[in-house]
Amino acid sequence: MQATRKKRKLLHNPVLHIILIILVFFTFYPLFFTVMTSFKDNEQFYANFWALPNPVIWKNYADAFSSIMPYLGNSLIISFFSILGILLTTSLSAYTFARLRFPGKEIVFLFVLALLMIPSLLQLIPQFILLRDLRLLNSYFGVILGYLAGKQAFSIFIIRSFFESQPEELFEAARIDGCNEVQAYARIALPLIKPILGTVAIMSLLDIWNDYLWPLIVTSDPSKFTIALGLMRYKSSFTGTVLYGPLFAGYVVTALPLIVLFLCLMNSFIEGLTAGAVKA
Amino acid sequence: MVNPAAPHKLKVRYNKREVLTAILFLVPTMVILLGFSYYPAFEAIKGSFFEWDGFNDPEWVGFENYVKLFSDPVFQISLKNVLKWSAGSIVIQLVAPLIGALLIFNLKSRRAQYWYRVIFVLPMVVPSIVTIQIWTFIYEPTIGLLNNLLKALNAEFLVRNWLGESALVIPSLIFIGFPWISGLNLLIYYAGLQDISTDVLEYAELDGCVGWKRVTKIELPLILGQVKLLLILALVGTLQNVTVPLLMTNGGPGYDSYVPGLYMYFQAFRLGNYGMANTIATVMFVIIMTLTIISTRMKSKLS
Repeated sequence: MQATRKKRKLLHNPVLHIILIILVFFTFYPLFFTVMTSFKDNEQFYANFWALPNPVIWKNYADAFSSIMPYLGNSLIISFFSILGILLTTSLSAYTFARLRFPGKEIVFLFVLALLMIPSLLQLIPQFILLRDLRLLNSYFGVILGYLAGKQAFSIFIIRSFFESQPEELFEAARIDGCNEVQAYARIALPLIKPILGTVAIMSLLDIWNDYLWPLIVTSDPSKFTIALGLMRYKSSFTGTVLYGPLFAGYVVTALPLIVLFLCLMNSFIEGLTAGAVKA
Repeated sequence: MVNPAAPHKLKVRYNKREVLTAILFLVPTMVILLGFSYYPAFEAIKGSFFEWDGFNDPEWVGFENYVKLFSDPVFQISLKNVLKWSAGSIVIQLVAPLIGALLIFNLKSRRAQYWYRVIFVLPMVVPSIVTIQIWTFIYEPTIGLLNNLLKALNAEFLVRNWLGESALVIPSLIFIGFPWISGLNLLIYYAGLQDISTDVLEYAELDGCVGWKRVTKIELPLILGQVKLLLILALVGTLQNVTVPLLMTNGGPGYDSYVPGLYMYFQAFRLGNYGMANTIATVMFVIIMTLTIISTRMKSKLS
C-alpha cells in the first residue's frame, strides 16, 4: 500500500536509526545489568561490578525459584480467574449494550461509563472494610473481586465498540435460522471478537501482575501473597548481607511468566493495540 | 454504519424476550459494580464526614476532617509534592514515547518499523515491582549503579544520595524509567500516526509540507486524540501513586516525598484514622475528576 512512498524525510534514515539505537540501549541496559548480576555471586558482584558473570552461578536461580514459587502460583491462580471473570461478565454486558434493545439502555450505559471517572484510590479503604466485614481478607476471592470490579468499565467500553461494528444482517440471518439471543452471543458474536478479547486479557494480566497495593491491603497471610508481595518478602528475607545474585534472579523469575506469554503472543498483542483496540 | 438507525426511532416497542435477555446478561456486571464500585465510592465520601478508628461506632464530625486536612502542613507538602511529580512525569510520559513513535514512523523500511516496535514493547513484560527494585538499586548511594557509573567516569563530585536528599528526591523519582519510552504509549501514538491517510500526507507533500513542518502541521494535530487519552491516563495514574513512594522512599527524607495517596495509606493502615483517610481520598477524587474533565474539554480549545 505504502510501498511506493518516496518522501523527503524528517531526518535521514541513518540518523533515525542511530537515535533509536541509543534509546534502545538506555532502555535495556538496566535490564541487561539485572540479568548479568543474577548470575553472579556476591564476590563477583563486588569485585567486577560491570563485568559479565564468570563463572555463571546457576544456583541463584534455584534459590530464587524455590523461594518465589508459591507466590508465582498464587498470582497465576488470581490472574487466571480474574481474567476469566472479566472476559465473561464484560463481554455479556458489552454485547447487551451493543446489540439488545431495552428501556433505559443509555442511562445504564452511562452508569457503567461514569466509573471511568472515579479513581480507584477513592474506593480503596471502603473496599478493604467491606472485605474485612465479609471475612474475605486473605482469600483469593477477595483479591479477585477487586480486579473484577476495577476492570469492568474500561473493558465494556472497548468490547462494546467491537460488537457494534458487527453487521446486523448476521444476527437477523441467525434469528431466522432459529438462533436465540444466548446462542447469537455465544456462537456468532463472541467468536468474531476473539482478538480484542485477547487484548483485554493481556492488558488485564499486566495490570494484575504489576499490582502491589491491592494485594498488600487484602492479604497479610504470606501463603496468599501475590508475586509482587512475595518478591518484597523474599528481598527482606536477606537479613544482614544481601545476596545480590539470588535477589536479582528473583527479579528475573518474577517477569518469567510474562516473558513466556509475550513470546507466544507478541504479534497479536502488538497488532491488537496498533490496530486501534485503544483509541481516543 | 451498516444499518441507518431510522426505523428504530419509530419503534418504541420492546421485544419481551430481548429485554429479559438484556437483564439477565447485565446482572453480573451490575451486581459487581453496585456492590464493589459504587457502594465503596459512596462509603468513602460518606466516611469523610466521620471520625472512625475502623472498629467502634463512627462519630459524625461534619466538615471537621476537611478543615483539619487543609490546615495540616503534611497534607500541604504532599499536595505540593504530587503536583511537582505529576507535572514532571506527565510531560515526560507524553513527550518521550511520542518522539519514539515519530522516529519509528519516519523510518523507510516497514520491517525496521515493526522490529523497533517489538523492541520497545518488550520491556512491558518487566513487572513494575521489578522496575521499582531496579531503580532503587540504581539510586542506592554506596553500591548503586548510578554512583558506580559516576565513579567509573571520574565524576565523583556528582555522586549523591539520590533518594536521600530533599532537593533531589522528587527529580530522582521523576527520572525513573529513563528514557521513558513506554511500550503502551508508543503503540497508541503509532496507531494514531498509522491512521493518518496516505492521501493527506501526499497532498501535504505536494504543498511543500515536509520534514518538521509535516510533524508540527499534520502529524501532531491529527494525533491530538491520542495525546489527550494518554494525558488523562497519566494524570489519573500519577496523582494516585502510592506504591512507588511507599517502596522507594517511604515518604522520606522527612516528608519530602509524601504524596496524598501515600498519606491516605498511612492514615488508614498505620494510624487507623479511617475517617481522615477517606477525607484525603475524597479530596483526591475531586481533584482528579476536575483535571480529567478539563483535559477532555481541551481539544476543542486547541483546534
